[in-house]
Amino acid sequence: MQQEVVLALLAKEPSHGYELRARLRQALGPLGDTMNDGQVYVTLARLEKAGLVVSEQAAGVAERPDRKVYGLTAAGQQRVAGWLTEVSWPKPDLAEFHLKLIAAAAAKLADPLAIVDAQRRELLRRLRDAQRAAMAEPDRSAAGLLLEGIVLRLQADLRWLEACERTWTKRKDES
Amino acid sequence: MNEPGSTSMVWARGLRKEYGQQAGLVRAVDGVDLDVAPGETLAVMGPSGCGKSTLLHLLGGLDRPSGGELHLAGRRIDQMSERGLARLRREAIGFVFQAFHLMDELTAVENVELPALLAGRSPKASRRRAADLLDQVDLADRAKFLPSALSGGQRQRVAIARALSNDPLVVLADEPTGNLDSEATLEVLRLFDSLHAAGQTLVIVTHDSRIAATADRLISMRDGAFIDETRLTGGSTGQLGALAGLEG
Amino acid sequence: MGRVLLVCRLVGRDLRRRKAEALLLLLVITAATTTLTMGLVWHGATTGQSYERTRAVTAGPDVVVNNVSAGGLVPGLKALARAPGVIGHSGPYPVASAVLRAGGYAAGVTAEGRDAAPVAVDQPKVTQGSWVRPGGAVVERSFADALGIRVGDPVTLNGRLFRVAGLAVTAASPAYPETGYLTHNPALGNDPGLIWLTQADAQSLATSSQPLSYTLNLKLADPAGANAFVNADNRFNDGATSWQEIRDQDAKVVANQRLVLLIGSWLLGLLAVASVTALAGGRMADQSRRVGQLKAVGGTPGLVAAVLMAEYLFLALLAAAAGLVTGSQVAPLLTRASFFAGLAGTPGAPPLTMSTAGLVLAVALAVAVVASLVPAIRAARTSTVRALAASARPPRRTGSLIAVSARLPVPLLLGLRLAARRPRRGALTAASITITVTTIVAVLIYQTSKAQRLPGASAALDAPRADPVGRVMLVVTVALVVLAAINALFITWATVLDARRPSALSRALGATPRQVSAGLSAAQVLPALPGAIIGIPAGIGLYVAVSNGGVVTIPPVWQMLAVVLGTLFVVAGLTAIPARVGARRPVAEILQSETA
Repeated sequence: MQQEVVLALLAKEPSHGYELRARLRQALGPLGDTMNDGQVYVTLARLEKAGLVVSEQAAGVAERPDRKVYGLTAAGQQRVAGWLTEVSWPKPDLAEFHLKLIAAAAAKLADPLAIVDAQRRELLRRLRDAQRAAMAEPDRSAAGLLLEGIVLRLQADLRWLEACERTWTKRKDES
Repeated sequence: MNEPGSTSMVWARGLRKEYGQQAGLVRAVDGVDLDVAPGETLAVMGPSGCGKSTLLHLLGGLDRPSGGELHLAGRRIDQMSERGLARLRREAIGFVFQAFHLMDELTAVENVELPALLAGRSPKASRRRAADLLDQVDLADRAKFLPSALSGGQRQRVAIARALSNDPLVVLADEPTGNLDSEATLEVLRLFDSLHAAGQTLVIVTHDSRIAATADRLISMRDGAFIDETRLTGGSTGQLGALAGLEG
Repeated sequence: MGRVLLVCRLVGRDLRRRKAEALLLLLVITAATTTLTMGLVWHGATTGQSYERTRAVTAGPDVVVNNVSAGGLVPGLKALARAPGVIGHSGPYPVASAVLRAGGYAAGVTAEGRDAAPVAVDQPKVTQGSWVRPGGAVVERSFADALGIRVGDPVTLNGRLFRVAGLAVTAASPAYPETGYLTHNPALGNDPGLIWLTQADAQSLATSSQPLSYTLNLKLADPAGANAFVNADNRFNDGATSWQEIRDQDAKVVANQRLVLLIGSWLLGLLAVASVTALAGGRMADQSRRVGQLKAVGGTPGLVAAVLMAEYLFLALLAAAAGLVTGSQVAPLLTRASFFAGLAGTPGAPPLTMSTAGLVLAVALAVAVVASLVPAIRAARTSTVRALAASARPPRRTGSLIAVSARLPVPLLLGLRLAARRPRRGALTAASITITVTTIVAVLIYQTSKAQRLPGASAALDAPRADPVGRVMLVVTVALVVLAAINALFITWATVLDARRPSALSRALGATPRQVSAGLSAAQVLPALPGAIIGIPAGIGLYVAVSNGGVVTIPPVWQMLAVVLGTLFVVAGLTAIPARVGARRPVAEILQSETA
């Protein structure tokens, strides 16, 4: 879980650990189910160590992370402000697959086309699942929007895979 | 697959469509075998010019094959007369086009009732059925609108309602989302999904992988022939988290 | 200068690209201008000259007195010959009424008994053969032409055999078929002929039911005063005719022909307007891209409209020239046979006056302007952007017709909806059918009225009636029907092209090709129906207005119904072929090439 996300969720006001978790799950919808619960607290601990977050233990309650109240420090707030204005975008990592195909062809370990087809099939299945989930969401829900993003990304990747298939087929025909 | 299965909705063997002669011969569809079960959604994908639209036109009786056999719901249709094909289209086939092809001067409900009128049903029954169908596709409030007053997605939904007018055995869709933006595509996707759930047999030709992903079976086509077949069964949303960038 | 050249270049290119349409338009407008030219050019002055020539050659009488029965009036006739103002006479001659059979026909004739020796007043000029002799009949030339009688042919009069001794012309009687003007004998039928026999032969033809009458030809000191002479003498008022009246009776036929030609040119002109409008309107809307190009390079709406109309104005000019030339050459041809055979010398091609040429040109240009002005202005006014986008004309929606069509069988459903898409084209179809049916009905009325037999006429008379007016009517009607038919074909083809997408779509949705082609035909027949029905009262109205109080007999209802049904049948037949062709093209091809 990215540190800045947790910081941002605390920007409005300090909250309990379990509140944080609940908000995350709501925003992520069905994807929130895959989230590892413990991950949030690990991140919170790291942030506390870095001095961006302070925690308070409510008196008379067991020493448990979900009962602690977390809040931002001044440094934490600065970090959030900076993060909100950043425009970096999550990296695509097509290079790995691309090199996989080249290596397979060069060493004659496997048919690149078969690799592409297998990958396509897998992505199609994922697309189907994501689409199903997206359609199950009510209109204009936040989680639905996230799922739409996944669907469109997969679609773009599939297009690239189709292009790979065309090119590698041609290469095969020419050789 | 040498005999039409008794439960096949659409069955084809060695289906061919050629244009031109000798040196200029173009094989738009080159020996296609097909078997679609009732209630199945089949998607045919391929690059433009691969012959998938031509294939669909053959399946729908809009064009005659140059060779091969084609059966629809147990009836052999590749040798049928024009009149027989017309009747077939009336009773058993619903068509959805990429360009919608609605009549510009008819309202939505008049467009939807047209196949029923052409089949000889009474005007009242046709109108009632059309109103029902528009309700099913969630456009009951736009029944009296002209196509020019509807968005692309709405127009395609009207076209889908029209395709269902005579309770067809199979709905053939040719690039149904080709002219639509992503939100309209979603509308159409939902509709296809509900049709599938209701047991309608669907054959969709598309190069949009989102539409293809709704199918039970996906066939890839190139240069007039089938090259690949995939059965799409679902995993779980467990993998999706990773796709969204959430580490496990 | 550059602009004019540009316009000329564009016009030339357009005309070359659409040769068939340009030809049709040219044909239609030329038909109107030709008929108009014929009508304008053809008038009584031409026949007047012929009559004068005949009078001079035959020493024509100034007054003819006939229909005088035997008995006490014969001495009266002889007295008349010596009346003041009379300087010469011939006769009284006996005149018998008989039935002549020749060439398989039976016709009533007046047979004048004459001397073999020539006389000073009214000596008919023999153009073939010789003058009267015993057993020989001299036949009036136009009558002989109508029946196909030649010199030497055997003819029977009241059963007795005679031979045709010769053919002659006279100024004492109007030419056939107007000879009856003088005779007034109903037993001789509508159009009796004139022959001359020896006096003995004529007298021998008298019967108890048809006794002899007598005729007298007078020459006056003052020929110009013949009318006054006739009116003054009351004794023979009924039977006295001046030479001017005879001349005018001849001229009346010409006047009627002229009337038919002028009205025909009006009708053809209206048909031309309908045709040009139908073709121009559709084309100009499709020329929107040309409009956009012109505007994008700075053309004003005026220039754009001029370019669009220039084509039609140019065709109109051509049509005017062609019409003037053709009309003036054809006019005398039309009436040469039969009618003017009676007058010595046939008139040549009448000269074209500047006013005639100007009028014809003005009419042709008016047709072009009326038909193309409104679409041109509309096309020129569309915004440049819209014109460049070149969207095809959207069809009209008529909700009530669509609702009605849902109750009809499939071909009519398709046909009515197709017709309702282009109401203006339907209106133009209806208009051209109305014009056609109006003409046919008017001709029918004319024929029916003409066929009314005079009471007392023998039913056995069946000679072919030379009907110069009827002949002109026939020619005009044939031209009109042919043009209307061509028009219908073109409009149908335009409809088929325009209806490609809805037809293909209907077939994709389950209509059979036969239903679709029937629908395309119905789309033409449906507007033709009200057009044909309106044509009936219109035709009656036209005839009544033109005949100016003359006898108008309405033909039987079944005949009018036959005209309406026949017209619709013909329209359906004409449209069947383009409709069939249009309905058989592969559906997939059409749907793929058309955009949404």
